[in-house]
Amino acid sequence: MSLSYLLKRCGLTAYTLIVVSLIVFAVTQVLPGDAATMLLGENATPAALAAVRDRLGLDAPIWVQYGHWLGGVLQGDFGTSLRTGQAVGPVMVEALGRSLLLAVLAIGFMLSLALPLGILAAVRRGRAADLLVGFVSYIGVSLPEFVTATLFGLLFADWLQWLPATGYVPMTENPASSLAHLVLPVLTVSVMLIAHVSRMVRSELVDVLHTDYIRAARLKGLSARAVLLKHGLRNALLPTITIVALDVGYLLGGVIVVEEIFALPGIGRQLIVAIEARDLPAIQAGALIMAATYSVVNFAADVAYAWLDKRIQYD
Amino acid sequence: MFKLAAIDRRRFIAGTAALGALTLPLRRGFAAAPKRGGTLRVSVDQAVTKLNPLQTRVNCEYLVAELLYSGLTRLGINMMPEPDLAHSWSYSADLTEWTFKLREGLVFHDGTPCTAADVVASFEAILDPKTASPALQNVGPIAQVTATDKTSVVFKLSAPFADLPVTLAYTNAKIVPAAIAKSGLARLDQQAIGTGPFKLVSFEPERLVSVVRNEAYYDKDRPYLDRIDVLVYPDTTAEGSALISGDTDMMVSVQPTEYARLKNSAGVRTLKVPSGQFCNIILGCDQKPFDDVRVRRALALTIDRPTLVDFVVEGYGTPGNDAPLSSAYRFYADQPIAKPDIAQAKKLLAEAGYPGGLTATLIASDKPSVRTQLAVAVREMAKPAGFTIDVQTMPHSTYLDQVWKKGPFYVGFYNMQATADAIFSLLYTSNAAWNETHWNNAAFDKLVGEARTTVDEARRRALYADAQKLMHDEVPSIIPVFFDLLGAQRDYVQRYQLHPRGAVFRLDFVSLGEGAPKRG
Amino acid sequence: MIELIRRLLRTPQGALGLSIVALVLVLILVGPLAAPHDPDTMAPLVRYKGPSPAYWLGTDQYGRDILSRLLYGARATVVMAFLATALGSIVGAVVGTLSAFLGGRADEAIMRTVDAVMSIPSLLFALLIANLLGKSSVDAVMAIGIAFAPGMARITRSVALTVRKQDYVHAAIARGEGGAYIVLREMLPNVVAPIIVEATLRIAFAVMLFATLSFLGLGAQPPASEWGLMVAEARRFMHLSPWMILWPSLAIALVAIGFNLLGDGLRDALNPRT
Repeated sequence: MSLSYLLKRCGLTAYTLIVVSLIVFAVTQVLPGDAATMLLGENATPAALAAVRDRLGLDAPIWVQYGHWLGGVLQGDFGTSLRTGQAVGPVMVEALGRSLLLAVLAIGFMLSLALPLGILAAVRRGRAADLLVGFVSYIGVSLPEFVTATLFGLLFADWLQWLPATGYVPMTENPASSLAHLVLPVLTVSVMLIAHVSRMVRSELVDVLHTDYIRAARLKGLSARAVLLKHGLRNALLPTITIVALDVGYLLGGVIVVEEIFALPGIGRQLIVAIEARDLPAIQAGALIMAATYSVVNFAADVAYAWLDKRIQYD
Repeated sequence: MFKLAAIDRRRFIAGTAALGALTLPLRRGFAAAPKRGGTLRVSVDQAVTKLNPLQTRVNCEYLVAELLYSGLTRLGINMMPEPDLAHSWSYSADLTEWTFKLREGLVFHDGTPCTAADVVASFEAILDPKTASPALQNVGPIAQVTATDKTSVVFKLSAPFADLPVTLAYTNAKIVPAAIAKSGLARLDQQAIGTGPFKLVSFEPERLVSVVRNEAYYDKDRPYLDRIDVLVYPDTTAEGSALISGDTDMMVSVQPTEYARLKNSAGVRTLKVPSGQFCNIILGCDQKPFDDVRVRRALALTIDRPTLVDFVVEGYGTPGNDAPLSSAYRFYADQPIAKPDIAQAKKLLAEAGYPGGLTATLIASDKPSVRTQLAVAVREMAKPAGFTIDVQTMPHSTYLDQVWKKGPFYVGFYNMQATADAIFSLLYTSNAAWNETHWNNAAFDKLVGEARTTVDEARRRALYADAQKLMHDEVPSIIPVFFDLLGAQRDYVQRYQLHPRGAVFRLDFVSLGEGAPKRG
Repeated sequence: MIELIRRLLRTPQGALGLSIVALVLVLILVGPLAAPHDPDTMAPLVRYKGPSPAYWLGTDQYGRDILSRLLYGARATVVMAFLATALGSIVGAVVGTLSAFLGGRADEAIMRTVDAVMSIPSLLFALLIANLLGKSSVDAVMAIGIAFAPGMARITRSVALTVRKQDYVHAAIARGEGGAYIVLREMLPNVVAPIIVEATLRIAFAVMLFATLSFLGLGAQPPASEWGLMVAEARRFMHLSPWMILWPSLAIALVAIGFNLLGDGLRDALNPRT
């Protein structure tokens, strides 16, 4: 992995973020009804609208607004929310932290289930266990999060009353309660990931088990277990890194719905509120942070892949 | 399977709820002095985005503003003005000059004294269109505010006005420090410097607003609570579940669809009060086809109002009669509820020149959802009479931008106002701030105008009755249903009463009784 | 075509997926005829009913028949998802082919931009566009179509690039096969196959995304009987009648499962080489 490769990837990430910011800016500019209408609601008189637009700088030409915004971002200032008057940056970063906690727990939980299930299905290919895992994973990928979330809430919070229905408690306030509140959101976003990743692990492993060098290893007289562990898994799990990284994109979309339903004040919920309120600086910051997270995770996955791949090749 | 379980549970809990209702008055009788202390966790269904009390717009923001700030007067449960920062007031014989006397020794949260100068500065900020305060259109015809000494404020009005002590209790008419009112109101977006019963501790718009007791509050007894946490639950089902599980102590508003579930939950007491909050169907009286009163009457005749109360709010409401006053208003005039009459509606339509019926697009904003529910139900009810109604929903901001006050046919939604005059002159007089129907009826204007300058109760009642009758006959908008306000609380929350206005909460009177959880 | 269906039926996924999708197609064609009630007729006296002989799946908050609404809504739900996917595939195919055709710096620029757009989660992207366009089924179709386009562009481009260089195309030319044979038998299946597989899988995703947009208040609007909207509306009433939310959820899941299975089955059937 050369320095120029790293530099190129960094450049691409920067390009990505600029494209994203331009798209978001363009989209929000043409949205009907601006932040001033939204802020004042039914109390908007022409004079009040003009005053608020003036205060928020909504009357400046688009490119001036964009330039002003970009200049601020380069200095680490994401601007002030048109809705609350608070600085957007710190609010979004705090929200991102909560979403990341959700995402990390979900990925951890997902891996702890998806890997064994995928391996089981591949090893028992065509048998009952495989069919069962396959069937369940089809259901998993076919349920939208808002349906899963609602059904989980109905089951675990309302009928069984095992878990709090929604809400968020900071870790620092009460760790046990904080985790209890995270269980349902984590379960919900994990469902589709588990279904997807276990299928991927299965198909990768099935492919690997049919490659020549596995056959060669078998011919050498290695036990089935040794073949699976030493050669099969290593090679099959490698692409999983990329798949998981790509699934982060899905995960980020998923948290939007899940945070809305479970009243988790993460970045997805911030974005929904911001979009409704036409709060341009908040939408910009939220979308940028999401895109940046996705880019960075995939960048890291590519680097990890290349590094591990090399190790395996020379092993 | 679901059904059976639900019925069994309902029956069981209905029994215990009845028992609770019996013992309740007894317990109230015994509770001599409210217990002090404790933390109350209140849930709201929307983010508290505006902290500045002059600019708040939604109920949950009013709730927070009311904890942190005071007005000159406040609105009692019976819709009558009560003293707040002002302990008394007097008026000139012609009702054009009012004098308010402030309490002695008032202080803001930062320790600086609150005097008549702060009151004057606050009202000057409210009356300045640049502040964009909703209070501007609602505090009454104020021409000038002056301080005659440290504790006396004189309001000179541009017209005689009998309701000033009520309109000064308006949700946005709060008193802020003069220094802030004169420069940089923006400071109040982040911090709260008021004279209210509580002081701000933390403010996270999307999640939590925390306040603690203000030791320097003018009333030495109130507030009874040490602390109030206002929690935001954007999902109403989730909000209900949090109350049932004991995560929260009180919901200031409950959706009709959630009410039955909460009522059947152990440890939860539901609250209900009839209100003047309503949804209406605006008929643009200056545009075709609704410029013809026969078309407006025809549409009104298709609507089965009691059924609509079921459809829209699960029966938690009262049918309306196209006038904006419900029984919750002081000057409500009882009139028989119109019965649906499809044949008569068809006849009127034909007379108006639409023998084959007519087609119209009814626009409903997506917030709150009752607007759409009403539109969809009206669409079906009007069908047999020959109305082909196409329902179109849109985001609230688009609606405000493109339809509100402009469109000829859409669904409105309004909170109860403190007085009859407030709602009439907000929506229906020719010079109304939000004259969306463009009815512009001179006879109606005259009735409302005369009532506004009349002190005699009986005379006022007669004038307002005529005004309501006129609206019933002319149908500038169809007001088919008034909503009950619904709330819920844990059993141990004491002295909380739902306020019919919807925007007033009075949590400084609330205390916690036996069984309340200890919270750090 | 017959050959393809036979191959499809040989795999369990293909057989099951094809049956479900066929069933859904039948519903789309004859659903409204089979509906026992008018989907919009309100009945104040039979609101929130569970399944009964008169209303097989129960009734909703207005006393409307849920089964009839599902049958009418099949058209809106599945056809819209199909249109959104078709739109995304066409836009994606055009961009992808163009990029492959132009090659060099233009290709690089287009693909980097496509990558950039793909870093916005598709739900967020659809959410932004739907907000921009307005709230209706057509707007949601556009939003999902646009959100799908970058992914489809990527796949089309890579397919277009590989096919052009494939040995079997050169081989066919060397064998002296006719142009029609090469295009129809060698190139077309290899270009179209991966796109069809991807598109089929994406229809399942589109059904879910469409439902999610409706859930968030964009997409289909009342009184439509689009399934996602039915779930979204039913959420408010789920404590009065869980059936209202159960049936449309199942319907969405069934259709999504059907298209997912069919997509996987098609992948196996179209790629006999692996």
